[in-house]
Order: sequence, then structure tokens, then C-alpha cells
Amino acid sequence: MERRFFLRCLGCSFLASAMLQSDFFPEILGGLKSAEAYSLTKNLSSVEARYYKKLPEGGVECGICPRHCRVTDLERGYCGTRENRANVYHTLVYGLACSMNIDPIEKKPLFHFYPGTTAFSLATAGCNVNCKFCQNWDISQSRPEQTDNVDLPPKEVIAICRNQNLPTIAYTYSEPTIFYEYMYDIAELGRSNSIRSVMISNGYMETEPLKNLLPVLNAVKVDLKSIREDYYKNIVGGELKPVLDRIIQIKKSGTWLELVYLIVPTLNDTPEEFRELAGWVKTNLGTDTPLHFSRFYPQYLLKNLPPTPQKTLETAYQICRETGLEYVYLGNLPGHPAESTYCPQCGKILIERKGYRIYQNNIKGNRCYNCQRNIPGLF
Amino acid sequence: MIAKASGGDSGRHLSKDEYRGLLESGFKALAGLNDIKSSVSKFLPGGTIGLKVSCLARKFNSTPVPLADALVELLIQTGISENKIIIWERTNQELESAGYALNTSAAGRKCLGTDTDGYGYSRDFYSSGPVNSLVSRILTETVDHNINLPVLKDHSIAGLSSGMKNMYGAINNPNKYHDTNCDPFVAHVSNLEPLKAKNRLSIIDAVRVQYNGGPGFDSRYLARYNGLILSDNPVAADRVALEILEHCRQQNALPSLEKAGRPAKFLKTAESIGLGTADLSKIDLKVIVKDAGGGERPGEMF
Ligand code: SF4
Repeated sequence: MERRFFLRCLGCSFLASAMLQSDFFPEILGGLKSAEAYSLTKNLSSVEARYYKKLPEGGVECGICPRHCRVTDLERGYCGTRENRANVYHTLVYGLACSMNIDPIEKKPLFHFYPGTTAFSLATAGCNVNCKFCQNWDISQSRPEQTDNVDLPPKEVIAICRNQNLPTIAYTYSEPTIFYEYMYDIAELGRSNSIRSVMISNGYMETEPLKNLLPVLNAVKVDLKSIREDYYKNIVGGELKPVLDRIIQIKKSGTWLELVYLIVPTLNDTPEEFRELAGWVKTNLGTDTPLHFSRFYPQYLLKNLPPTPQKTLETAYQICRETGLEYVYLGNLPGHPAESTYCPQCGKILIERKGYRIYQNNIKGNRCYNCQRNIPGLF
Repeated sequence: MIAKASGGDSGRHLSKDEYRGLLESGFKALAGLNDIKSSVSKFLPGGTIGLKVSCLARKFNSTPVPLADALVELLIQTGISENKIIIWERTNQELESAGYALNTSAAGRKCLGTDTDGYGYSRDFYSSGPVNSLVSRILTETVDHNINLPVLKDHSIAGLSSGMKNMYGAINNPNKYHDTNCDPFVAHVSNLEPLKAKNRLSIIDAVRVQYNGGPGFDSRYLARYNGLILSDNPVAADRVALEILEHCRQQNALPSLEKAGRPAKFLKTAESIGLGTADLSKIDLKVIVKDAGGGERPGEMF
């Protein structure tokens, strides 16, 4: 128990972290104490990992993501969060959140999933890719001993959500795939407590773990970072094909799915790529899958590139709409009309958004208030 | 150069005094001087000296404490203030698990991990080829000259774990650099600006060599070589280490690292980016054998 500390405030369980912040719900977070005031443990978890096999020649092979890291004694996989200890593979981040926040669901972004609600968002250290534009590289590219962690077992996450009336938990910021066991157990517990779970992921996960995870999730947002394999190889440090396959798997499962494509100037911003992307979405997922284009800002290892010009985002929007995609959005352009949801049939505004705020919601029981067309999603 | 101790059984580490003898002979032979003080200062001209040990395998197969102690003693003897010596590794936990006593106070030699409060990693990234990493502030901000002080052992992916591979412990994200036999990553990690600028010497413990099953400890694969490799050329030091490792494998009827699917490809890469010499025929290798009585004589590698 010495590794644990539970922050108690006014009889409720709370938590905080070095990254705890919210300018959106200060009234909720106002009562929380920063964990920086506490002496944070550097100890890591030692929960046995799932989906690995012991190799006959010694070592283990991880089966959580397509990297299939082969890891010998005392070494770690690529994500830095799984360690072989005497041929038993361990997750080092179970119950160790390094970043927490209360976010509007629109920030994920999920636009067709209970608009205007909030999500308790959490992450651990680590990631199974290394995007050169990562906005959260300080946690995603860190090993868990390099981040300030809060000991937060699944039941404490649920207690926070219940006490604060937070309807949804979002696994986000870094890559939830690498904290699969932790995410799964929270989501499963959440399900029996009527608390929803959404995964904000790069989609770089193996088929089987995803298959077993989807029943405890309510929605998934996948960052489809490009429609080209070489971009995945050179800029992301992963592979495109498994991501496309997992996106199709999620869609087929019936779990709510939205996609985000971050447009990085000069790297994945040509009209041909937008056309390929739109064609792939239309063919494989249908025209009713929301697709968000997001504006790049110089970060991490791509500080030499400018922010995405608005015109490029609008070109992408135009191409996708012309291809027949019905719910295309532009992100990181606060106030742009393409932040809002329109009825594909009558063109009326259904959900008006500015930034992460909702100004009107005219969807009534999954239907357009005007023409009664069915609007996909969970409202 | 290689400084070897004669005799010795196959199980134990050398004592501090035995290491001290090897270090003195090694420094003098490497410098080509008779005086130990001048020999040391030829490579370490003052300032704060770091000793980057390797403690991943805990007390079983990490840089032996008696070796680090002997080196500290030798440095002090040659005029370096004890307060200006830092034994360091990635984490305090690793150091302690290998038997090191932590010391973060101002008095005496320091012994600390990068995770010690006030240290951590550099704010900015350093880059070389595909490597982009933050570097331990112990190296970037505290140490003027660094001695790379690893143990020689087999590595399940890189083939060879020796000097350059030990530098994975100086960066924040070593887990990102294990694909394709750690090549070209090992070379480019050593080519990061602070590492290249401050690494003055490699002193590789090849007393007890784990020639298979590394980098964790596996008692089935231990051989006695009884030597230290010393060089100011990090690639040459590793190339000689590789020769010893391959020799041990051959003696024990194991296939070469190449045949085992883990060739130490990074050596050639390191040479190609100008870090040193990977061609054994171009390395001027001296071998000195130190007798139990203190005398020394020229010897053979095997
Ligand atoms: S989850 Fe981590 S350890 Fe497992 S295969 Fe992926 S990167 Fe490797």
C-alpha cells in the first residue's frame, strides 16, 4: 500500500497530476489539489501483461500491437512500458496515470457522441509509434519512470467519475494500446457502473486484443495519419495496413467510430491524398463516418514546418464532400463553419459548434429536426 | 589495448586491487608513458569526470563495484578531486540493485542516476541520423569528460553489448532503438553531440564474459577472459570486445553472432560516420598480462 496515495477532498475521492488542468471546467477542478504537492512515487506496476507468448528460445513476444516486440530478460518493448522479468512479461503502467483532465467530448474530437458532455481523460506514459509531430511527446515518448505518475487503480477512476457525475472515460493523450490492461479493466468496471468508455487511438493494435476490447468500449476515435505507407514508415514509425484493417474491424463491430486526419504541410497535404482518403472511407466505412481534418501546429521534431494553411484544410473538406462523405469537419480552426454538423439532406444546421462549445443542438432522437433524416451517432 | 590478469578461477570477479593493477598498466600502455599521472591526464585533462556504468543486469552482470572503486581510487591518486567524480547510470534503482551506494551529497564521489532530483534529461533533443533523444543532464551539464565503463556481454538483439550499447543508458528513449539489430541506432546514439564530445575513454570489463543469453544474466553462458579493454577509440574498443565475445562463443560450440541472427552491424555503421575503427586489421592492439606478483609482460589476445 505504500505506493498508493489517494487524494481525499470533502469526502470524495479525487486525484490530480502534474498535468492536471482545465480551463473549461474550473469549477469542477477547483477543489482538486495538485499532485505536485505530494511525493510522487517512481515505482512502477508489475502486473502481468496480456497477449504475450513465451518463446522456445527464451524471451517473450508481445501480441498487443503489430510490432510484436521480442523481448529478452530485463528488456522492454518499443513502447517502453512492458518489461520482461524472468520471461514473464509485465505492464509497468497499470494503474499509473501520468496525465488526467476533464475535457469536453468535442475535444477528443467525437462530434456524434453525446455532444456537450464531458469525459474524464487519462493517459499513462508511452506509445507504440513515434510521430514526428506529436503534441504530447513529453508523455508519449517517455518511459513511465520519467513521468510523474499518480497511483490510480480502476476502481478509483470509477469512483471519481461517479462522484463528479462524469459520464465518460476517455483513454487518450498517449496511446491507450500500450496501457491495454489498465484501459480494459477500467472500461469493464465502468460498464457495470453505467460509465462509458471511449478510446482515442492510433489504431495500431492487433486484431485479437481489439476484438476483446470493443465490447467494453462505447466509441473509438482513430487518428488515420495518412493514406500512404511511406508516411507511416518515415513520419509515424509504424505501418498503415494494420491501421486500415483495425478501422474496418471497429466499424464492423458497430462500436461508434470517428476518424481524424492531421494535415501536415508538405508531408500529407496533396489533393490526390485527400481524394484517396475520401475514396477509402467511402468504400470501406460508408459515407456516414465522421471524418475530421485537423490543423497542424509546429511541434516536437517538426518545428521547421508552418501551421497548415486554412486553404489546405478547406480543399480537403471540399474534396471529401464532393466524394460524398456526409460528415466532414475542420478542427483547430475555431469559429469555422466546418466545425458544425449539417443535415446532409436538407442542409439545416444541426449542431452549431465554436471551438469545443455547443451553441445549439437540433438533433431530436437521432433525427434532423427539420426533415427527419436519420443522423448517425449517439445523441 | 587489453590488460589481462593471469590465472583466476572462473566464477569470481576480480578484487579492487587486481582491477587497480590492470587499470594502471592499461592507462600507461594506452598513453605510451611510464608515469600513471601523466597517462591519466593525457585522456582526462581535469574537470568533472563521469563514469558511466552498466547496471541493467543488477548485481549478477553489471559493472563490478570493485572496478569502479579501483578507477575512482586511481583518478584520485592522479590528482582528480574525489568531489569531481560521478558514477552514474540511468536510474538510482539500477545502481543500487548492482551494489552501488548512492551518494548525492557534495562530499566525496557522487553516485547517482539520471532520475535523481535536479538532474533528469536535457530540455532539447539531440539528433543524429534516425536518433532523436534527450540526453542525461549528468552528461550534458555536469560532466566534462566521461569514461564509458560497461561489461562485455552478448545482447539478444544487437549481438554485442559493450561500450557503445552502454550509451543507451544516457538517453531518454532507448526502447525506440532496438529494431534491425539496433543498427544504425547504436552508432547514432554515440554520435549525439554531447556523447561524442565528452566520451574520452572506453574501459570495458571483459573479466567474466557472458557470451550468450544476454543482456540479462544467464549463468549457463559464462566464460573467463580476465581482461580489461581500454581505448580512446570507442569503435575499436567494441571491435576488440566483439572478437573476445566471438571467441568465447566458438570455444563453447555456439554459432557466430552473424549465424545466430544478431550480427553487430552497428560497428561498421559507426566507422562509416567517423566514430572510429571497425576493421580489426587496422587496430594497433597491445596486450599486457599482469602477473599475480605485480609484474607484467606482453601477451596474446587469446
Ligand atoms: S505494445 Fe509495446 S511491447 Fe507490445 S508489441 Fe507494441 S510496442 Fe511492442
